[in-house]
Amino acid sequence: MSCHALKVNDLSVWFETDSGRRQVVDHISFSINAGESTGLVGESGCGKTMTALAILGLLPTSGVGVSAASIEINGKDISSLNAAQRRAVLGRDIAMIFQQPGTALDPVFTIGHQISAVYRRHFGGSKKHLWQIMLDSLEAVGFSRAEKIASAYPHQLSGGMRQLAMIAMATVCNPVVIIADESTTALDNSTKSLILKQLERLQLQHKTAILLISHDLAMVRQSCRNVLVMYCGRLLERTDCQSLYSHAQHPYSAGLLSCIPQVSANRPPRISAIPGQVPSATDLPSGCHFAPRCIRVKPQCQQSVPHFDSEDDRAVACFRPLS
Amino acid sequence: MSVPYITSRLLYGIPLMLGVTFISFLLMVHFGPDKTYELIGKNPTEEQINEVRQSLGYDQPFLLRYGNYVKELLTLDLGLSDSSGEPVSSILIKTLPISLALVLPGFVLGNLLGMALGLLAAWYRGKWLDKLVMSASVVGMSVSFLVIIISLQILLCTPYGLNLFPVRGWQVHGLGSYFYYVTVPTLALVLVTLGYNTRFYRAIMADEIERDHIRTLRAYGAGPAELLFKHVLKNSLIPVLTRIMFSVPFVVVSGSLLLESYFGIPGIGLVTFNAITSGDQPILKAVVGLTGVLFVLALTINDMLYSVVDPRVSKS
Repeated sequence: MSCHALKVNDLSVWFETDSGRRQVVDHISFSINAGESTGLVGESGCGKTMTALAILGLLPTSGVGVSAASIEINGKDISSLNAAQRRAVLGRDIAMIFQQPGTALDPVFTIGHQISAVYRRHFGGSKKHLWQIMLDSLEAVGFSRAEKIASAYPHQLSGGMRQLAMIAMATVCNPVVIIADESTTALDNSTKSLILKQLERLQLQHKTAILLISHDLAMVRQSCRNVLVMYCGRLLERTDCQSLYSHAQHPYSAGLLSCIPQVSANRPPRISAIPGQVPSATDLPSGCHFAPRCIRVKPQCQQSVPHFDSEDDRAVACFRPLS
Repeated sequence: MSVPYITSRLLYGIPLMLGVTFISFLLMVHFGPDKTYELIGKNPTEEQINEVRQSLGYDQPFLLRYGNYVKELLTLDLGLSDSSGEPVSSILIKTLPISLALVLPGFVLGNLLGMALGLLAAWYRGKWLDKLVMSASVVGMSVSFLVIIISLQILLCTPYGLNLFPVRGWQVHGLGSYFYYVTVPTLALVLVTLGYNTRFYRAIMADEIERDHIRTLRAYGAGPAELLFKHVLKNSLIPVLTRIMFSVPFVVVSGSLLLESYFGIPGIGLVTFNAITSGDQPILKAVVGLTGVLFVLALTINDMLYSVVDPRVSKS
């Protein structure tokens, strides 16, 4: 594979605070092929959303630092673009679906207006043409009465419908990459699977690469081929979903998996938790960030950072991986 | 906006107007000055006092007097001024247009400039431009309006300064003379209100810029012009409209009072000011009552405008 749909190379994000730098994303690299889904999992506050916002260049400019060797979409580096060039890429080549469908759409414009505005921004076209494109995208996500949805305001739709409309907005320009940041977290289970199904269908149709950010491992298992495990701003493990679930190599990944409640007929559900808490970004432990909570910790873990091979298909950042 | 919605809003306005006029009647007329002893000579007899009270209508029951007051306001038949003997309604008709012509340019400019500066400061939030605009507006708020008016008069209207405009008066015959008399009061009004306006609009716009849907727009490649002038402005219309509509009655009466007394302009503010100092009750009754009615009217129109700018209001 010569050219990845999305290739992030050495991305770092930090906050400048009075007490010094707070590293929230620490030199991470990964890539996604066209037509594939990759899950990015980890506990709340581990830097998943920051990664997404940094890829799109949406972080505020004051108080936040971002550095990246490169962020490539279909081989084209977008990390060094100026503001105007970047705007031409956003929404057209890479689109994001946000967590809160309730607030992510503008309440005083109709759904149709907001979707067609995205297409108009990048490709222009007559009003009639824009309207048709917009209706097509709404129909593509499964709305049977697209006209009605198009003339509705966000508050007139349910959460799931809004998120579907958001997907229509993300796919209207047929982007190379879609980043879905906790896009189904706020929705009930049946709506959740409907949304994932529509996303998958559109992905098959257009060979879109999807970065699915979630803390829901079960969902990632359902819909992703590969998975990245993130902890305190670093990637700890990359592998395909099946291997992760059958034998996770990093103790943290194994810990996360054991947190999924198992329901079975024979025994009561057993839930375990990873001991300890996520350390705050102001005083991260030296060495492996997970060492203080790790049951397999050894002295080396607290002194040096285990290497993470970003080129390999299966990688783990651990001195004592489970095997 | 549907017809039933408009009528229901108007119907809601009726009890409000009754309440407002009732309170102003209670304060201004029932507990207000008693003119009996001004009108009669020394050592009056009981009958003389009763006669005067009767002619003033003081002997009528409270509710009947209130009813008459409401009737006066409704028919705009407001009686004669105590000091000049002129009908109050014709005084108002003469002075109100002057006040409006005097205050309107400054009011509009002050709000537009405040909005522009607020938008600029909100966009560059935390940067030096924001800090500059915000500190300037604090200075503007802190300087007394007296200082602003008097220094503008010295700078622009006297031989000590540029001597371009008149210090006092209002002899408007056409557009040229209108600008001649209105320029300095307008500058004064803009300078007095700009600090407050800028801070108010910045707070609203800064909130709007932080909203999730603005981040969505950025993520889909919208430029600053589209963000600010389409989405931020339209979303902030509700608080902006509310402020503007609510300040209309104050601007018409009290805002012009300030300017008119310093620039010697015969508008409604000056008339009110003189009526207060001379105890001219028919004029006061009319001004207070009509201000209240104007306020309720502004509120009602405001409610109706909500449903135009925000699709979430209305239809219910």
